Amino acid sequence: MTQTEVETTTTDEATGAAALGSAWQAPASDSAASGALARSKWLHVFSVLAVCLVWPLIWVGGMVTTMDAGMAVPDWPGTYGYNLFLYPLSTWVSGPFDLFIEHGHRLLASVVGMVAIVMFAVAIKGEPRRWVIALSGLVLAMVIGQGVLGGVRVLLSDRSSAMIHGCVGPIVFVLCCLCASVTRRSWWDRKGFDGQSNPPQGVGKLALGFAIAFLCFAYLQLVLGAQVRHVQPLTSTKMFTHLVVTHVAVAAGLLAAAPVLLTLTRRCGDLTLSRLGVGLIMFVTLQVLLGVSTWVVKYGWPEILSSLPLGEGYLVKSKGFFESMVVTAHVAVGSLILANAALIVMQCYRQNWLAAGDQSVQRSPSGVAPETA
Amino acid sequence: MRLVQHSIIGYDFTMNRIHFLRPIGGLMAWAAVLMSGCDAPVEQYPPNAVHALVVHHRTDLPTEAAAQEVTQLIDQWFGTPLEPHWPAELLSGQAAKGLVDQDRLLRAPGSFYSDQDNLHYGLYTEHCVRCHGVNGGGNGAASALQNPYPRDFRAGIFKWKSTQRSARPTKDDLRRLMVHGAPGTSMPSFSRLSDDDLDVLVDYVIYLSVRGELERWLLYGAVEEIGYGDEPVEDPFRFGLVSIDNATGDRASEAALYAAEHLKRIVDQWGQSAEVAVPGASSDPASGSSVDADSVARGKELFHGQVANCAGCHGVDGVGGVNIVDYDDWSKEYSTRLGITPTDRQALEPFEALGALRPRLALPRELAGGYAHGGADAVTLYRRITQGIAGTPMPAVMLSETPSATALTPDQVWDLVHYVESLLETK
Ligand code: HEC
Ligand code: HEC
Ligand code: HEM
Ligand code: HEM
Repeated sequence: MTQTEVETTTTDEATGAAALGSAWQAPASDSAASGALARSKWLHVFSVLAVCLVWPLIWVGGMVTTMDAGMAVPDWPGTYGYNLFLYPLSTWVSGPFDLFIEHGHRLLASVVGMVAIVMFAVAIKGEPRRWVIALSGLVLAMVIGQGVLGGVRVLLSDRSSAMIHGCVGPIVFVLCCLCASVTRRSWWDRKGFDGQSNPPQGVGKLALGFAIAFLCFAYLQLVLGAQVRHVQPLTSTKMFTHLVVTHVAVAAGLLAAAPVLLTLTRRCGDLTLSRLGVGLIMFVTLQVLLGVSTWVVKYGWPEILSSLPLGEGYLVKSKGFFESMVVTAHVAVGSLILANAALIVMQCYRQNWLAAGDQSVQRSPSGVAPETA
Repeated sequence: MRLVQHSIIGYDFTMNRIHFLRPIGGLMAWAAVLMSGCDAPVEQYPPNAVHALVVHHRTDLPTEAAAQEVTQLIDQWFGTPLEPHWPAELLSGQAAKGLVDQDRLLRAPGSFYSDQDNLHYGLYTEHCVRCHGVNGGGNGAASALQNPYPRDFRAGIFKWKSTQRSARPTKDDLRRLMVHGAPGTSMPSFSRLSDDDLDVLVDYVIYLSVRGELERWLLYGAVEEIGYGDEPVEDPFRFGLVSIDNATGDRASEAALYAAEHLKRIVDQWGQSAEVAVPGASSDPASGSSVDADSVARGKELFHGQVANCAGCHGVDGVGGVNIVDYDDWSKEYSTRLGITPTDRQALEPFEALGALRPRLALPRELAGGYAHGGADAVTLYRRITQGIAGTPMPAVMLSETPSATALTPDQVWDLVHYVESLLETK
């Protein structure tokens, strides 16, 4: 099958769709083949593990930034001359908090690195889908890249690279989530129309475009947030004000767009999509609350909210524990939103793909693709 | 075999299936462009360009040459953010020489990092710069979104202190402010910092303030007194030729002597601040015992009375609501005092382009159920009432030993204090 043929399936052209349709039907109708080509369970296990490690890693990294502890360990890849793993436990644990989290971030990142290596190895060994192997390879590459970026940030003592590091971290998380999602049993088992239940429906161009736009704006929002967060000493007041205003405006946009996205994507009736859509609304709502709280704990009660009596006499506490947690939660939930939006986009594609395959099945009278019949 | 192959492809989205990743790639590239090249270390303190323009407006004379020369002198004497310097060589007396500790100074500006002993460097960059700005001008990146604006240290005017209205705060005052913050403003509490770190920051605030105040004086002096025009003046009066070595002794030029004298005066104001504490503030007659209701009632009367007329600004019963259009001294400097209406956006534009913040109304605090920004204990309130609040429209009441039509006695002020205490919320 050539690239062009596959491309056409997304535009629902008969030939391409027929070709794909036949393809996805094949294993379902041949138990021997599907047995040999089982999804890689281990890849799923390790992807889920990666997801469960990278999100905390983002918390810890966010904590490093929130506490301005990025330069608590001046060297890299070592820690104060020690090999990363040989840095004395007692000095680490009993040392200053800044050193504790910075070194901890590095340790956790190395664990993630190892998990990513295992993921890739397992994928090569047992995963039948080439693009999934490629995805796990991408995860590994991004994890390594992110680690190096972290090191560069330390060696150059450079806040711009800290900002880029902060913008790439969430992408690593997103990729891990995608990998975990496409290796799920339900993803593997759902093969579209089986000839009995309702045929799967695509989501339509509008929904797909909307989902992609949402994803892009969610990332734009993250980049804007990173600029606000990593403000430089000589950043002008105008620039900062613009960034904050844009960040808040995009937040309002995302908050309004999330329910629309749910409405558009749920039309196809796919439960996964509906669930993801509801999750997205919840995360974005939470994020807006966290964003406002972040502003309050860092810059005090804003004037626009002065009509609310709550904040009068509010005292900003620099690097208080609760305050740091609020700010870092805002960072971490940003990644969740991005991942959630990416999953929706991917699920939309998959839904369209299933639907496209399904049409060809409906076209063939037996409900089974010609080749296997 | 054919089947198997189909199966693989069947589950294979092929790479085009993840082409939704492409927008992310595009955005990343875009982000990289946006972020590149904005992290050069700060090598120079930005000059006080707003003040140069203010001087220009006040004198109608060109200030460019003067500004350039003054910047050279200031950089010579005070160093750069990479290597700040306390010009102890030019000062006499231990108090003045030791007002700012050179070693501490080095730990304030520059990029921040910390070591295994938790000794922090770049403390000012880490904690303060986003609000107070590199040169302490109060116009850091985040400043425009705050009310009140962060303090511009360069004018030498401070609100929350134990000293008289026009005096500098003591080191203890600055330290207390940093530990407690200013509730109700964005000025944070830095109670997590070690004593050592606080000392560094206190010294650095003083350093920035002295540096900034000297810069302001010299700018004005160069144009108004020394006669800088389009060109720098001739040698003995040239600031640009003054270094730290030729500023004292026989070799000192006129310009050096002029600048050193101003430096000495400014530093002395800081050194002597403890000597100008607010008189009578340490003896609250009610301290220890509970405040009696009579005193509060008398205070209430005074609050609304002719002499103090606090209600004229703070509203009947301190609930606010009085419509007063007034601004603080920092923004009056480039507006009303130059004959510019603070709301005249067009006239202010040249100042804003140079980093001045848009003037904001200095509103009297709502005292009833409100919070004091600068501390709400009785002694502090006594100071506020007898001194007013520097830099703001809040006036001082006149004091006299006997009751009169224009002044209050200390006991009456304490009555007022007790009444204000009863109004304020305490946290
Ligand atoms: C989030 C913004 C912000 C940060 C960060 C900040 N400040 Fe402030 N600061 C302010 C504001 C706003 C004021 C004005 C308060 C007022 O007018 O009541 C202020 C006032 C001050 C004053 C003057 C108080 C007076 O008596 O007039 C000093 C001194 C000061 N800050 C020092 C610092 C130092 C030192 C740091 C860093 C350790 C710091 N600030 C960090 C916002 C900030
Ligand atoms: C001309 C108007 C005016 C008058 C008269 C006036 N005030 Fe104020 N007052 C202000 C302003 C403006 C502020 C806010 C200062 C600032 O920017 O923080 C203030 C603030 C205060 C504060 C809060 C201090 C803090 O720590 O936040 C107290 C208490 C106070 N005034 C008490 C009084 C009392 C008592 C009187 C009568 C003796 C009085 N004021 C008279 C204008 C006035
Ligand atoms: C997969 C690996 C990694 C991920 C996903 C990751 C993620 C993150 C995230 C999300 C942040 C927070 C950024 C922000 O809040 O704006 C961060 C900060 C940081 N990370 Fe990592 N990180 C990884 C590896 C590393 C490594 C190996 C180092 C080694 C030195 C490192 C050093 C840092 C530092 C110094 C900061 C603080 C940056 C600052 O000062 O703002 N990271 N990381
Ligand atoms: C959908 C809504 C929002 C999303 C997805 C979002 C996302 C983010 C992210 C990801 C960051 C951190 C960037 C980094 O990793 O460095 C951030 C920072 C920030 N956001 Fe938001 N945000 C949202 C809404 C808001 C709102 C409504 C506010 C309110 C003012 C806000 C205020 C901030 C602030 C102040 C920061 C900087 C934090 C710091 O200085 O440490 N955000 N945002």
